[in-house]
Amino acid sequence: MLRIFHGTNYDFIRPWRIAVGVTIAFIVAGFVMLGVHEARYGSALNQSIEFTGGTLMQLEFTQPPNVGDIRATVDAAGFPNSEIQQFGSPREFTVRAGGHAEGANAAVETTANQIQAALTQKFGAGTFKVVRTEIVGPRVGEELTRNAIIAILLSLVITMIYLAFRFEWRFGVAAVIATVHDLLSTLAFLAIMRLEVSLTVIAALLTVIGYSLNDTIIIFDRVREDLKKNRTDSLYTVLNKSINETLPRSVLTHVTVAAATLSLLLFAGEVIRPFSWIMLFGIVTGTFSSIYIAGPVLLWIERRWPRAKGDRNLASRAAAKDAVRPETRTPVGAR
Amino acid sequence: MSNLKYRLGLIVALILLSGYALYPRDVKTRQRRADGTFYDTTTRRVPLRKGLDLSGGMHLALDVDESKGTVANKSEAIDRALKVVRTRIEGLGVSETVIQKAGNDRILVDIPGIDDRERAIKIAQDQAFLQFQITDKTKGLEKALPRLDAIAKERGYDVASAGPKVATPASPGLSGLLTGADSSDSAKARTAATAKKNDTTKAKADSATIPGLTGGAISKKILAGQMPGQFLYDIADQDMLKRFFADSAVQAALPPGKVVRFGSDSTAIQNKVYRFLYLLDARPIITGEYLTDAKPNTSPLEGTVVEFQLNNEGGRRFQRETGKHVGDYMAIVLDDIVMGMPPVINSAIGTRGQITMGQGRDLQNAQDLSLVLKAGALPVPLKVAEVRNIGPSLGRDSINNAFKAGTIAIVLIVAIMLVFYRFSGFLAVAGLALYVLYTLATLAGFDAVLTLPGLAGFVLSIGIAVDANVLIFERIREELDRGKTVRTAIDEGFFHARSAIIDSNVTTILTAAVLYQYGSGPVRGFAVTLIAGIVASMITSMFVVRTFYLLWLNRSRGAQTLSI
Repeated sequence: MLRIFHGTNYDFIRPWRIAVGVTIAFIVAGFVMLGVHEARYGSALNQSIEFTGGTLMQLEFTQPPNVGDIRATVDAAGFPNSEIQQFGSPREFTVRAGGHAEGANAAVETTANQIQAALTQKFGAGTFKVVRTEIVGPRVGEELTRNAIIAILLSLVITMIYLAFRFEWRFGVAAVIATVHDLLSTLAFLAIMRLEVSLTVIAALLTVIGYSLNDTIIIFDRVREDLKKNRTDSLYTVLNKSINETLPRSVLTHVTVAAATLSLLLFAGEVIRPFSWIMLFGIVTGTFSSIYIAGPVLLWIERRWPRAKGDRNLASRAAAKDAVRPETRTPVGAR
Repeated sequence: MSNLKYRLGLIVALILLSGYALYPRDVKTRQRRADGTFYDTTTRRVPLRKGLDLSGGMHLALDVDESKGTVANKSEAIDRALKVVRTRIEGLGVSETVIQKAGNDRILVDIPGIDDRERAIKIAQDQAFLQFQITDKTKGLEKALPRLDAIAKERGYDVASAGPKVATPASPGLSGLLTGADSSDSAKARTAATAKKNDTTKAKADSATIPGLTGGAISKKILAGQMPGQFLYDIADQDMLKRFFADSAVQAALPPGKVVRFGSDSTAIQNKVYRFLYLLDARPIITGEYLTDAKPNTSPLEGTVVEFQLNNEGGRRFQRETGKHVGDYMAIVLDDIVMGMPPVINSAIGTRGQITMGQGRDLQNAQDLSLVLKAGALPVPLKVAEVRNIGPSLGRDSINNAFKAGTIAIVLIVAIMLVFYRFSGFLAVAGLALYVLYTLATLAGFDAVLTLPGLAGFVLSIGIAVDANVLIFERIREELDRGKTVRTAIDEGFFHARSAIIDSNVTTILTAAVLYQYGSGPVRGFAVTLIAGIVASMITSMFVVRTFYLLWLNRSRGAQTLSI
């Protein structure tokens, strides 16, 4: 039987201060980057056309063109603030023009038509084709932004309700705080990498939430079980024990999911790449938060609001006696 | 043993059901020939629908356009507009179009495989409000011109270039064009093509500026045409005149009950291009609501035309009205544009007529026009809020890439499972194969749309799907470590892993459901794939793989060791 990380007895919770410090530093760095981007590009997040509104065209040239020529042509066509980016191969570019002419009769599709006409004049007909056009009116962008925010908040609330129902509220709150951490750190990752935030990325973000919760739940499920079995152990001990017991599963699952994500990142093409990046980071942060955020928070809550004596299903006695392993230190929430 | 039989029976039933759901079937699609006619063709294919980002095509979001006045009941108006848009788009003959209402004031249109952005927008958005209006006989515009000139001066409209005194086309003998020679019931309202020919031949013969008017900015720019209520203007003045006549003060200065409309045709006189402008009776003698059929046609004489037919009520009305207006000119006005040259009415006209397309319009234009006419006018003007157009090549690339990534992911995962869990890993891989089958079948069964994020989600879910197996296997290992027999360890392993599997998957399903509710297009595809994948993964890991174990235990009769 090939076993990895079997019968381990690491004290995962002990270095929680360092872990929390690292993650806070990362999140702060991310938010600093948001400020830097705001100053540099005028937008904190690199929001996709879906959210900002505007026109995006993906062009495929027969020969690698000069980027400067494209830029000059688009500028001359009357869209001086457009972004021109290489997209995958050197023959493919995206042109992104923000905003719309707000005139009464200006149709949203005018910009795309004008850019295409200008490029055809410059490079000649047949030298390139427009393989993708996305034109989003300003109202749609506002709606999508609102929907994305609602979706994220709603999924947090719903999972919290479910967890409160299935587990006990202490576990639910700890799991949700771990999830909020994942959201923040993924946001920081988005900022540092300046990935484009599209609807697909939001979908990846919600999947990361689900995945991270999944991980937390599996550990908590074991805690729930072990608390019933070992009524004398402290929560600290039980938590560590549970993490160690679920370690082989965690490692193997993360490896398979990472294998799937890596092949997406490497082979599934440019369009889906930001999605793959978020998923890959999500695996890391989800694993991390299940151990170093959910665990310490659970201990902290337990300390602030200890279970009453004789609490029927969980480690009430242990909790009441020495909630957070007072023999060495007070690991969480020490004041 | 009987328990095992039921389990196996259920698995086989699920496989058969999946096979049925995925079995390639005949799909009828309408295709368009190069000449524009439709034909039905049947293709055999797996019934999995590809989203626009994979098949290529166009997604349109249309909002109510309120720039020309507010709409009282938007939701109701959108419902009616939806029917019209649906009829038009389905008339394009593209298979698997999706036309739906979103929220209270938006129509979403998905047209797979179409690449011509502007054309699709035009078909969906054209209001197609058809009216027949009599041209003004009272010299209303001529009389109003002094007032118009005054307004132009007051408001500072361009007065720089004085209109040149040029020859205007003469009346091209219209009596011969619009005949009552057909039975009055089917007389055709023939229009412009012949008239245009006459324009060029007789252009220089006649010269007529509007008599008695000089000096004013507007009167200099407008020349009398060949029929009452028709005028010409230099094409260079088009923008200015359009702005001018859109001005509310100008509209108030026009004679009551009359409207100014621009024409679709132009004419060249002495190397200058002129276009037409009309003063019409505001009250239409008939509108497009009585129209029952419209089809494109070409005639050598008139070029591309759209022939239309009115219903009986419309026919009666048309006959009565045209009977009153014998000798008058009738403008065919589509979306406030006068199409072709207004023909003269020689006698009462019945249920059939035709619209001559402007110059330089090909058959496709006529086809599209008949399409929108047949579908009826839009009850409210619509404006484009969102367009996504994806070329077929990009879609193909995406499928190929996703397929490559998926294959590599599967190979890696299978290798990992076999290396770590050997025989049990093999059972899990067999379960995984069924998982893929079930997921695809669920997607086909619910007629879900496969999108690129959906495919990515599918690849990802394969990775996540083994999680349940891993949980169970690790648990079985632990139970074996505690010295339990193989059979008990397997039972306990499945039992203890169950709550974790269910809890973790339910939260993911809840998240995906939220995503489905608030997402659109590709993201919805992702949510659906994720949900289908999770359900299938729970079935395969907890039921199918369990059954495999039971089967194996049965065969090996109390095995002492388990390869896990």
